[in-house]
Formats: sequence, structure tokens, C-alpha cells
Amino acid sequence: MTLTRLPREIRAALDNGVPALMVTCSADGTPNATVISQAYFVDDTHVALSFQFFSKTIRNVRENPRAWVGVTDYDGQVDWALDLEFERSETEGPIFDAMDMQIEAIASATGMSGIFKLRAADIYRVLSVSTQPYQP
Amino acid sequence: MIPPPIIRFLEERANAGFAGTRDANLVPRGHRVSAWRVGPGGRTFTALLPDASAPHVLEALLDNGRLAVTLEEVGTHETYQIKGRYVSHRPVQPPDIDLAIRARERFVKSLRSLYPQAEAAERLGASIPAPGLAVEIEVDEVFLQTPGPGAGTRLAPPPEAGGSTA
Repeated sequence: MTLTRLPREIRAALDNGVPALMVTCSADGTPNATVISQAYFVDDTHVALSFQFFSKTIRNVRENPRAWVGVTDYDGQVDWALDLEFERSETEGPIFDAMDMQIEAIASATGMSGIFKLRAADIYRVLSVSTQPYQP
Repeated sequence: MIPPPIIRFLEERANAGFAGTRDANLVPRGHRVSAWRVGPGGRTFTALLPDASAPHVLEALLDNGRLAVTLEEVGTHETYQIKGRYVSHRPVQPPDIDLAIRARERFVKSLRSLYPQAEAAERLGASIPAPGLAVEIEVDEVFLQTPGPGAGTRLAPPPEAGGSTA
């Protein structure tokens, strides 16, 4: 199934606290794979990703705005893949504040208090969304 | 190329992995990694991927050869990223299946310390797919990805050999 808007069902994967997987690509064509603490639902065509320390990812999306993010819904036994395009970075405001609060909660729950710190909420436009049922 | 302490980490403690490729238009894509194997001297690395990823992975690798693989010990957050270039691919063999079973067991065991409900760890463990494809790369670079101020530091080749971050 491939969609161009985020369906309600994806909230189970975005809101469950499981880290998201992210791939970007530099202008010279080198992919970069990283784990991010949070992919936050902004509206049905945008997500915000937590910018904490992944400097290569930040440089990549400024050079080449395309990104791939994977999130998982273990209750529903399905992976979600999002094709994204970077739009802007926010360092204050309601999206930043909500993500900052969630990052603090994640850090506390995983023993990373003082290490996980939100520097910016990077806003991405959703280009497509697809699902893949677990295949254990 | 992969430093010996990191080889030991990959073989004994890492319990979750995923890979990144890109197509001819520089559009990135991610793929779950079921298990992994380090070649002699750490010069090569083999990622075991599910059949569902095979068409996209092979199309990308045959186009440009670039693969990035991030491997983590869930629980401690110790994480490394390996970047390299495609060497070969083959169907998985029985020892690869055994390797994937052991990696999944380590993953589920680590989740039990994070998720009080045993069922959640088992259900999340099911997200690791059975492997169908083995992709070997020549290792170009290894980066520290553990969350913290050192995240992104290149470990191999050493930073003074050219300075880079991931």
C-alpha cells in the first residue's frame, strides 16, 4: 500500500516510543543511516524529526533534501516507510516544545538524561508512505 | 579496516541493524538488516537482508555500489556506522540463518530490559525479518554513532587521515 498522506493508523508507529530509522544522502552520493529518537506527527502531510547530534544527516538534507524514515508498529506487526523532503527547521514554537517534552521522557526512560537534547525540530513534507507487514 | 574492538562488538553484542542505499537520483532508502558477518581483518562486511529488500538493494548497489549500515546494541545505545562499496551478493546459506536467529535472540533479550511487558519484547522482536540475501561490501569508513557529543566521529580510517563525520 502506498499513500501520499499520513493515515491515522501510522500514529501507532509514531507515538510508541520506538526509535525511528533514517537514511539521507549527500550531494556526492554517499548514503548515511542513523537512528533518531522521534518522528513526530505534525499533520497529514508533514512530520518533524528530532535533530539532536546527527550532524552528517543535517548537512545531507541541506545539500539534498530527500530523506527516508522507517517506523514500526509492533502491536500491528507492520513497518512504515516514509519518503520525505526537508522543508525547514524550528527551534521554538509548539512543535519544538512538544517534541522537547517527549525527548525528555524518552531520555528518562532509557537512561539518557543529559545526553538526549533537542536542538531543533526539522519539518519534512511527506512524499509517499508505504507499509510492509513483518516477515519474521 | 574495522578496528578489532568494534569487530568484537559486532560479533558479540550488536543486536539491531539497518542499511541505507540510494538510487541514481540520490533518493535514499532504508532496509532492515537481519544479521551481519565481518570478513577477514575487518576489510569486508556482509549484511544479511530480507528477500523483500532484495530488488531495491540490488538495483541501488548495481547502479552505484554505495551501502551504509548502522549497528546498535539496543539497551546500551552503543552504535557504529559502516560505509562501503558493493563487492558481491548471494542467497543466504544455513549458517547465515543461524547467525540471524542468534542476532534476533540478542535483540529480544535486550528489549526485555527496556519493556516490562514480555509480550512487547517478543512482538518487537518479530520486526527482524528472516534473511534471504547476503551482500558483501568492502569497508571504506567506520563511524561512532553512539548518542552523545562524539556521535559522528570517524574511527577508521583515523580522523587525521582526512577528517570526516557521519
